[in-house]
Amino acid sequence: MASPRIIMKLTVTAVRKEPGDVLIIDLKHPRKPLLPPFEAGSHVDVHLPEGKVRQYSLCGDPTELGRYTIAVKRESDGRGGSAWIHETVAAGSTLPISAPRNHFALKPGEGPILLLAGGIGITPILAMARALTRQAKPFHLHYFTRSRALTPLLPAIESDLPVGNVQLHFDDEPATREDIAALLANRLADAQTYYCGPPGFMAAVGRAAEHWPEGTVHFETFQPAGLDGAPPEPFIIELREGRVVEVSAQTTALAALRAAGVPLLASCENGVCGTCECGMLGGQPIHRDSILSKDARGHRFIACVSRATGVLKLDL
Amino acid sequence: MTWQGKLLHIHIAPAASYEMEELAQAQLVAGRGIVGDRYYLGTGTYSARPDVREVTLIEAEVLDAIAQGEPRIPGFKAKLAPEDHRRNITTRSVPLSHLVGKRFRVGETILRAARMNVPCKYIEELLGLPGLYEGLLNRSGLNCTIEVGGVIRPGDLILPIDE
Repeated sequence: MASPRIIMKLTVTAVRKEPGDVLIIDLKHPRKPLLPPFEAGSHVDVHLPEGKVRQYSLCGDPTELGRYTIAVKRESDGRGGSAWIHETVAAGSTLPISAPRNHFALKPGEGPILLLAGGIGITPILAMARALTRQAKPFHLHYFTRSRALTPLLPAIESDLPVGNVQLHFDDEPATREDIAALLANRLADAQTYYCGPPGFMAAVGRAAEHWPEGTVHFETFQPAGLDGAPPEPFIIELREGRVVEVSAQTTALAALRAAGVPLLASCENGVCGTCECGMLGGQPIHRDSILSKDARGHRFIACVSRATGVLKLDL
Repeated sequence: MTWQGKLLHIHIAPAASYEMEELAQAQLVAGRGIVGDRYYLGTGTYSARPDVREVTLIEAEVLDAIAQGEPRIPGFKAKLAPEDHRRNITTRSVPLSHLVGKRFRVGETILRAARMNVPCKYIEELLGLPGLYEGLLNRSGLNCTIEVGGVIRPGDLILPIDE
């Protein structure tokens, strides 16, 4: 189980509109000079009314702990969280924010690093680029957007990162376009890649990086990976002690476990945050989360969205 | 009168996992809790199992000993601020574990000590302090119900009723 995080009622000190319908929000603690430390790639949970929780990457500088900065793209066809933030949050607002957690950390190593961002996926990637710049490590950032006029966080990129390490790619400027498959075709020795962006971009990079060795390709998506289309089927969970919990087609494993008195924390209930992750001892899972690595899929389970066929043995 | 203690701090949190906030005064409601606190609002980690968590107290002396670690607390040492321990009231010179089953006064209110508090692993993870669970075992305070409500403030006297 991912560990719980303290939730702080932070004060919004400034909001700023950026191109691409993005709102930049600076936050500070109302009583403490420093916020909990974080590493590049971390995200926070933003707690919205009616129990909604949304994850946003911290895009500020991890060495400046007086404030957190998040960038919220308004998703007009989303689930309503970003629209609420855009319409409601202003300087002086209070936002409940969890302490950061990191599922997208830079791995140790001296090899060259390829950072790929699509649109608002720049937020964790920008924090990484800042950290790598400070550590004087070799990296290249490729930032893909539709057009210069719709590109968020360009001023921060141009002022904070070395010019030679950044390439901008705009769909509507043919001279700047770059083929993702070509970028990933030849892997330099010891290279690692990190990427984040919208679903089409994630799929394209995923395909292009298939020949990279396991453990060298790292990504984060805050969009659920998408259901496999098949209607949910009932299945059975067997607990460590042997007790059996039935999961009907109409409910989730998480809800069924809770109803059976098995305490399991959860946050996003959308398969992206990892709070309800638990151990899996056997069975045929249908993983529908967006977080477990290929390796983890053999022995871990995300109970809020994933299902199974037949009997699934969980380490609970 | 065998002892006389003092209320040092009052803290509440609006819901499970939220940071505790210090109050300069608090309203205690008989049979419910502290106005604004998660166990008054029904939003606490254990609210689904309402028991006797209307008000929870802990001794400043325990925090002092944990801050010192060895030899007072074998194997564990941590600086635990009053806002960290997630109990509502921090006391000084009150023998909390002697009070189980008894009534006592906090300012103008009367509490009944229902049971000794049992620490949870949850707080250890929440604060990122491995070992805190063991460090608090058998000294993590007192869960109380409120028999007579009222307003309490830091500095209020805490006095025994049932000997």
